[in-house]
Amino acid sequence: MSSPSEPSPPDQPIIAIRDLGRRFGRSWALAHVDLEVARGELVLLAGANGSGKTTLLRTIAGLIHRTRGELRVFGRDPNRARAHCRSRLCLVTHHGYLYENLTALEMLELWNRLSPAPRPRSELMPLLERMGLAERARNEVRGFSAGMRKRLTLLRAELERPELLLLDEPFSALDPDGQRFLEQWIRASRAEGRTFVIASHALMRATNLGGSSVLLERGQIAWRGPSSQLLARFSGTAS
Amino acid sequence: MIVLRQLATLIAKDLRLEWRRRARLLVVLVFACTTLLLFSFALGRETELLVKASGGLLVLALLLSSTLGLAESFRVEHEDRALEGLFLLPVDPVAVFYAKTITNTLFLIVLGPILVPVALALYSVHIEPGKLGDFALIWALTASGLAAPGTLYSGMTSRMRGQDVLLPLLLFPLAGPLLIASVRSLTLLITGDAMDELGAWRGLLIAFDVIYWSIGGVLYPFVCEEGT
Repeated sequence: MSSPSEPSPPDQPIIAIRDLGRRFGRSWALAHVDLEVARGELVLLAGANGSGKTTLLRTIAGLIHRTRGELRVFGRDPNRARAHCRSRLCLVTHHGYLYENLTALEMLELWNRLSPAPRPRSELMPLLERMGLAERARNEVRGFSAGMRKRLTLLRAELERPELLLLDEPFSALDPDGQRFLEQWIRASRAEGRTFVIASHALMRATNLGGSSVLLERGQIAWRGPSSQLLARFSGTAS
Repeated sequence: MIVLRQLATLIAKDLRLEWRRRARLLVVLVFACTTLLLFSFALGRETELLVKASGGLLVLALLLSSTLGLAESFRVEHEDRALEGLFLLPVDPVAVFYAKTITNTLFLIVLGPILVPVALALYSVHIEPGKLGDFALIWALTASGLAAPGTLYSGMTSRMRGQDVLLPLLLFPLAGPLLIASVRSLTLLITGDAMDELGAWRGLLIAFDVIYWSIGGVLYPFVCEEGT
């Protein structure tokens, strides 16, 4: 098994999916999904509730086993080479992965100490300041609003500096300032060469980020094209 | 080295969470003391019988109260899918298991300094001061023997409905040899060890602990990940 820090070839797609299927009971949450995501690309996953966006993100992260098909993340099967894949990606979902009785600073310290390459402790408070959480650094998470929890969760992605970010509804629960900050952060991260797969219903804001879009319907890819064309396509499908 | 760093970090996190949620320890202690009291009511006022049974009653009180503590230990990990977050970092599941098991062992050991004096007073038992070290060792071995399979089963059942029923159903039959060895050891320490049997029972306790701490570390990575 390769070490988690083993670099993958630059010309290799970060994500390669072929005929992917995932069945829950009798129904297929994903079926015949083919998708490739290149390094530095941003792919927006759109679709109605239950169309398979979250399942696809969790499958890419290796949290869900596929029922059929091929899946390679950084050239490896994420269900087998867990350390190889997970040390390079970060999944941000509507679950914050937070402990209610730890403070924001303690959460950050915990993630930092458990990560493969911890940062110096002195770098943690500036991160909280950057996300507007410095004043609440020593408050327990249980008293945080949904927006503050989301900001703290996003800090995890900033802390880990992964090559691949899987964001599930990142704009939800954020106030307009938070959404603008997140948009800028994603743009800055893309400029550094990071790859994004974003599932979102906030299409106006998400399509501003550019990149390409994938429209999922009942677990299948119904359309793929530039994000600039998604809104028209999505409204056309909806009607 | 990374696994050891993760283990130390997770133990510190678990102990911190236990301290912040220390009302849970109080509830378990009250439950255990109530159990001891009810046992004394059930057996009546016959002092000799109470003395002979006191070792067994103490271990039973520990076993019954352990299920409360063990069931709770993984609940906090699922409140906001924190455990999934740990696995995504990625944290080695083996480190998660041993951190939880060590914390649960400490949790059960801490019950001892309260439960044992209560039992001694309720059951009119006297322990020679020279045997207190052995008594503490047997208590610690029993606590760690319950914690290892208990943590494994708690991890397995923590996402299921009816965990409070499932956990004792799985744990109690498995804990049979541990209970027998522990009860025999404590009884020998209380009533006297004329045949010098204590060493053999203590050996059985150590063997049980070694086996289940090893098995738990091997099995936990297979049972902890969802979606298989």
